[in-house]
Amino acid sequence: MDSFQIFTTSTSLVDSVDKKLLVVLRDGRKLIGILRSFDQFANLVLQDTIERIYVGDAYGDIPRGIFIIRGENVVLLGEIDLDKEDESPLREVPVEEILQVQREEMELRVKREKIKNRMLSDQGFSVDQAEFGDLY
Amino acid sequence: MLFYSFFKTLVGQPVTVELKNDLAITGVLVSVDQFLNIKLDNIKVVDEERYPHMLAVKNCFIRGSVVRYVQLPAPSVDTALLQDAARRERQQPAAARR
Amino acid sequence: MDEHAPLESAGIEEPLDLVRLSLDERIYVKLRGDRELRGKLHAYDGHLNMVLGDVEETITVVDVNDETLEEVIRIVKRNCEMLFVRGDGVILVSPPSRA
Repeated sequence: MDSFQIFTTSTSLVDSVDKKLLVVLRDGRKLIGILRSFDQFANLVLQDTIERIYVGDAYGDIPRGIFIIRGENVVLLGEIDLDKEDESPLREVPVEEILQVQREEMELRVKREKIKNRMLSDQGFSVDQAEFGDLY
Repeated sequence: MLFYSFFKTLVGQPVTVELKNDLAITGVLVSVDQFLNIKLDNIKVVDEERYPHMLAVKNCFIRGSVVRYVQLPAPSVDTALLQDAARRERQQPAAARR
Repeated sequence: MDEHAPLESAGIEEPLDLVRLSLDERIYVKLRGDRELRGKLHAYDGHLNMVLGDVEETITVVDVNDETLEEVIRIVKRNCEMLFVRGDGVILVSPPSRA
């Protein structure tokens, strides 16, 4: 039974090997690369990876290379439709520019989240630090 | 194992998976495994404008641990069977302990 | 000891046995974050993964004005015919009498 169960995890990712994937991580990072290997925990090996930062309708790319990603940090991975990718309405901007707007947006978001979490906590809701760290 | 078996009966059905970060993705359920990792095909993100990075993605593998809800097609769910299975699943471990 | 006897005879030995008694009943579920659910319990497991029917979800939204940093609390309700809920987000399950 056990070997059968492990088998089911692998079948779901085996079709994606050697394809160009978008991987979203728990800290909000988006990586684009070629899936070369994986295991039953969804640990991944990505080749020719770039990190793409999105803010509004703009994005910027940082070349990163090979990644070994621990499965627990993976939110989702998806195959990129190369035709749809070409039709993208987003515009590419230089890395320095996107990092700057990302920093500004993040500061605003952290400020907003702090207030929200305090309000919700006053209302008896459970908003803990761990959740606050997961800004994906 | 109850929900693993349950989701297997829903393969081929349209579902909406809502993640803990509020991202909601509708698609056809392709596969599920024992961790309740979910694979969807022909996906559409519910609030597309907020998640531009998903625009070019056609199918996806979602790690079970990041799922908050899965909205299911009610007519495909046999609630009587589910309740029976839930009752049985609880009895088994209790009996094994004695 | 005596006062425990009726519970045991009803098949109640551990907390989740109380959830079993709520099968096919409407329950209240409080989740991590800003969410609460009310719905009919169709299935659950030891992780408190659940399938609920005729669900009403209550989301408590806090809107923050970016300039004044004033906050306004808004309650949003959503309905769903059939919903799987992952157990790791569940804080408490309350049986029908209080739902």
